[in-house]
Amino acid sequence: MADSKTVEIRIKRQLTPDGPSRRETFRVPLRPGLNIIGALMMIAENPVTAEGRQTVPVSYDANCLEEVCGSCAMVINGKVHMACSALIERLDQPIRLEPMSRFPVVRDLQVDRSRLFRDLQRVKAWIPIDGTYDLGPGPRMSQREQEAAYHFARCISCGSCLEVCPQYNDQTQFVGAAVLGQVRLFNSHPTGQMNAPERLEALLGPGGIHECGYAQNCVEICPKDIPLTQAISEVGGQVMRHVLLGFLRK
Amino acid sequence: MKLNEARLAFMSSSAESTASPDRSFFWRRLHSVSGVFPVGAFLLEHLYTNSYAINGVEAYNEKVRGLTELPMVLILEIAFIYIPIAYHALYGVWVWWRGDGNVTHYPWTGNWMYSLQRWTGLVTMAYIAFHVWEQRFAGVHIIENYFVAFSKVQHSIARPAVHAFYVVGLLSACFHFAYGLWLFACKWGFAPGRAAQKKLLWACAALFLVLSSAGLMSLRSISTAPLQPRPEELLKMRSQKSVARSQGPEAAGKRSAF
Repeated sequence: MADSKTVEIRIKRQLTPDGPSRRETFRVPLRPGLNIIGALMMIAENPVTAEGRQTVPVSYDANCLEEVCGSCAMVINGKVHMACSALIERLDQPIRLEPMSRFPVVRDLQVDRSRLFRDLQRVKAWIPIDGTYDLGPGPRMSQREQEAAYHFARCISCGSCLEVCPQYNDQTQFVGAAVLGQVRLFNSHPTGQMNAPERLEALLGPGGIHECGYAQNCVEICPKDIPLTQAISEVGGQVMRHVLLGFLRK
Repeated sequence: MKLNEARLAFMSSSAESTASPDRSFFWRRLHSVSGVFPVGAFLLEHLYTNSYAINGVEAYNEKVRGLTELPMVLILEIAFIYIPIAYHALYGVWVWWRGDGNVTHYPWTGNWMYSLQRWTGLVTMAYIAFHVWEQRFAGVHIIENYFVAFSKVQHSIARPAVHAFYVVGLLSACFHFAYGLWLFACKWGFAPGRAAQKKLLWACAALFLVLSSAGLMSLRSISTAPLQPRPEELLKMRSQKSVARSQGPEAAGKRSAF
C-alpha cells in the first residue's frame, strides 16, 4: 500500500493499436491539488514502475488542462472523467486508469475519436457561410434562443457521453448524444436552420436518432452540464415532424 | 492503418445506403408506437375486462362473452393483438440484444430504468407466450365456450408457481407499459423539457400503480373465489343440460312454436 505521501496509480497500457494490453503500477508523490495529468507528467519524468522496473512514459491526450479542449477524457476508477479536472485527493486509491472503451486505442490512454468527428460530418454540424460572394449578415437570433443554444455550444467533444451510452457500439452505429446536441444547436440557428432538413435526413439513416435508448447517462456524465436528453427529445420531435409532414406533402 | 480501414468502411456503407435506403428508423419507431397502440391499448382493455372478476364469476364470464361475440373476432385478434405483440416482442429482443447495459458501472436512475425496461420486456414476453398458449389455445376453447373463462384462469393459478408467474408477469407488463409511455413521450419530442419530463414520469409511476393494483385485485378475486368446476366438467355439464333440453318436452314445444 502507498503511504500517506505517495499515491498508487495502476494504468492499463497498450503499446500498439492491435497489441496486447497489460497493467503497470506507479507510485508518485502526492502534492496538494494534484490532478491525473500532473501525476502522468511525473510518471513521464521518471518512468519507473512501483516494482522498480524501467518502462516508457504513458501516452495520453491532453491540451488545455482546464476542461475545455475535451481531449483528456479517460476511465478513472471505472468511470469516465476528464483527467485534468480529476483531483487525486478526491479519488479512491489506488487509482485505476484505463483508456475509453468505446473508441479504438492508439496507445495507452490515447484513443482514436474519428468516429465522433465522422458522425459530426454526417449531420453537417456546422453552418455554411462561405460563398463566392459576400452573403451579407444572417438573420438575427433572439436573446432567448441565444441563451438556450449557448448550453449546446459548450460541447467539447470529449466523448464522455458516448463512453457511458449503452447504445453506442459498432452494431448500432449510433451517432450519440454529443452529435444530437450539435444538431439541436445548428438547427436552431437562424442561418443553420437552412440546412436543417439535411441534418434530420442524416439522422434517419443507420445509427440515427432512433438508436437512442434514453438511458440518460449522457446528461448525468456531461462535464459541461449540457441538457443532452432535452436535445435528443427536441431533435426527435424535429425528425418526426420532418418525416410525417414530408410524407403528407409529397 | 485502422483509420483508413474505418474510412473505407464508412465510404462503402454510405454508398450502399444510397443504393437501398436504410429503414431502421421506420422499424424502430414502429416498435415504439406499436407499444402504445395497439399493444398498450390492448393491455388497458385486457385489465379492464379482467377487473370484472371482482364482480364475480357470472359478471366475468358475461364480459368474456361480449368479447367473443365481437364481429370478425378472429381478424381483430390477429390484426390488433397477435401481429402487433409479436412484432413488438421480436423487435424488442433485437433492441435488447444490440444494447450494452452498463448499470453496474453507472448506477443512475435512468440507466436502471433502461435495464429494467429491457428485463421487464423479456419477462413479459415469456409470460405472454405462456399465458396465451394456456388460456387461448390449450384446453377448452373460450371463444366457443365463454362460460369456462373464470374457471380456466382459476384452475391455472391454483398452482402456486403459476400464480407467482402471473403476479410477476402482470407487474412486468404494467411497468413496461407505463415507462414505455414515458419513453415514447420523450423520444418523439412531446415532452422535451426537464421539468415536464419529471412531471410526466410521476404521472407514469401513478399509472403503473393504478394498472398493477387493478390487475392484482382481479387476480386476487379469481384466486379467492369459491373453486369452480374444471373447464372440462363445465363443458360436460353444459352439454348434458343442452341434450336434456333438446330431448325434453319444453324444447319440443319451443321448436314447434317457430
